[in-house]
Amino acid sequence: MKHLVRLVLIAVLLSSVLAACTPPAATAQTIKIGHLVALTGGNATWGQSEANALTMIVDKINSEGGVNGKKIEVITYDSRADKLEAVNVVKRMVEQDKVVAIIGPGQSGVANAVREVNNSAKVPMIGTTPTNPTVTVQDDGKPVPYTFRVCFIDPFQGTVAAQFALADLGAKKAGILYDVGDEYSQYLAKYFVEAFEKGGGTITANEAFRSGELDFRAQLGKIKDSNPDVVFVPTMNKDAALAAKQARDLGITATLMGGDGWGSPDIFELSGGAINGGYFVNIAALEDPTIQDFIKEYQTKYNAEPVLPNPLMAYDAMIWLADALKRTNGEGGEKLAKALEDTKDLQVLTGKLTMDPATHNPLNKPAVIQQAKDGKFVYVKTFVTQ
Amino acid sequence: MILQTIVTGLSIGSIYALMAVGYSLVFSVLNFSNFAHGAVITLGAYVAWAVMTQYLHLPFLPALIVSMLGAGIIAFIVERVAYSTLRHRRAPSLYLMISAMGVSIALQNVLYATIGANLYALPPIFTQDSIQFGTAVISRMDIFAFVFSIIAIALLTVVLNYTKVGTAIRAASHDSEMVSVLGVNLDVLVAVLFLLAGSLGGMAGVFMGVKYMVYPSMGWITNKAYIGAVIGGLGSLPGAIVGGILLGLLEAIVSVSVVGGVHLSTFRDVFSFGILALLLIFRPTGLFGRYVEEKL
Repeated sequence: MKHLVRLVLIAVLLSSVLAACTPPAATAQTIKIGHLVALTGGNATWGQSEANALTMIVDKINSEGGVNGKKIEVITYDSRADKLEAVNVVKRMVEQDKVVAIIGPGQSGVANAVREVNNSAKVPMIGTTPTNPTVTVQDDGKPVPYTFRVCFIDPFQGTVAAQFALADLGAKKAGILYDVGDEYSQYLAKYFVEAFEKGGGTITANEAFRSGELDFRAQLGKIKDSNPDVVFVPTMNKDAALAAKQARDLGITATLMGGDGWGSPDIFELSGGAINGGYFVNIAALEDPTIQDFIKEYQTKYNAEPVLPNPLMAYDAMIWLADALKRTNGEGGEKLAKALEDTKDLQVLTGKLTMDPATHNPLNKPAVIQQAKDGKFVYVKTFVTQ
Repeated sequence: MILQTIVTGLSIGSIYALMAVGYSLVFSVLNFSNFAHGAVITLGAYVAWAVMTQYLHLPFLPALIVSMLGAGIIAFIVERVAYSTLRHRRAPSLYLMISAMGVSIALQNVLYATIGANLYALPPIFTQDSIQFGTAVISRMDIFAFVFSIIAIALLTVVLNYTKVGTAIRAASHDSEMVSVLGVNLDVLVAVLFLLAGSLGGMAGVFMGVKYMVYPSMGWITNKAYIGAVIGGLGSLPGAIVGGILLGLLEAIVSVSVVGGVHLSTFRDVFSFGILALLLIFRPTGLFGRYVEEKL
């Protein structure tokens, strides 16, 4: 009897392994696109909103006849914003699902972790919000052949934050608290320092912590003693919320500032309201007149406000990808990468998209400054890349 | 500045101490490092989150008691499922430790799969949190957590020293086989042990949830508590408390130090884990430890 049970178990195991190996029946009438997105975890608020927006635009493209008559099919995988998990699912996308292109991820660290997988398989990837320059440009200065993005990059974001602090907030001294274990945070801090010092400001304290740490009061105490006008915290919502809470507990009254990692509405609850009054750079704001139709459509369909900027970036990425696929007639690989690279003045949701073939970054992307105020993000002003 | 650093260090250290006690309690009797303790702490915080914000909407103190009970029961179940068979087979400590690591990963993934990896905040206990103390600022929550940790550890000491079960636990920490030969039911003893360690862990989890936030990988911080337990000497309760507080202080001091123009805050974990390595090489018994053999 025991043997029988064992045999049955082994048979079940084997058959499930075999089933996993056979590729799902591919219909010639669809074009498969992978979506790499954080649906759970600290970045889930953006990720879920991004998946919703992608469904909206894909439905729209398909109802208008698809890409040269072929329908687009999106295969979505949750990365949890975890590098290891992302490598596993991207392998699955390129090896088993055989997608022609991937939309996502939204995190620079994740994009860099999966680079080897999608590039060696020659599957173009369009990052939605990975803002670190190294995502699309290699150490030797050449673009990463199959990786693109639709958002601005951190040197610009850091510069905007520094210029805003100097000119609009009249700050002379800045303290910094960043995550040394995260590419996004580390680089954003670096670009802020460069731009702030270039603009005549002084960095009074430049403190770091390691990803996963919860208590920053030792570092914040040091920042407090250096008496800065602004404290720049270029991290995601979790760390920014903790830092804001602890900074206020310590009696730091300086204005808090951050980057696009702050723009998740749960930051108010997580920080116990301490984030109120802070300013941060974002890729888009709800008040932008060009996206009002999109926001209305989103609200009707999902009965919630989109969590910017990810939904907009995924929407733009899909329009861009569909346009390139039309030109290659649904073909992927080298041809698709070339078509993506050659995109000029394409009308997307947030404006006109032009690729810089030398960096795989879009040209002339705007940045907005928002303020966290009374539990809401309020639009302050817009900057444009020079 | 120095005062603030010490205050910060003490407040982090007291939470380390509370967690470290859980490690030492189990180690003293079963002679293995229960790496599932971090997951039990995390689950304790989730119990508080559930009864405070999702159902019942309990105030803080009842929620704390429910979470301590919940975490104690979870620790007990973990022992029954993962350790008791190994224990009865007299498996080497190494096997128990590996089993504990497996439980830790499994429990964390159960959280990912059921509740998801989102971040949650527990409602604050005090609306006006900080008090000025000389040149330093102290948070009421820290004082509260500090006092509660001390009371909990004091109660534990009373249980260990003045009750029958406590006497049996202390006896078992010297020689568990002898104790069972003398007629003590070792299974009951171990169950009590895990209930105690688990509920202290649950308390630490709730404090962490209120001070910081609740999320599936928050148990990571117990790595630090474990270092605290090793500094004090695994298996020694006073050692766990002193070790935890020392580590908290040391980390706070390292965080604000500058050596030759280099800010040491980025090297904080290098120091913490470096100390662990050095101790294991040069003084494996820690400050108060008694055992010289296997440290797993």
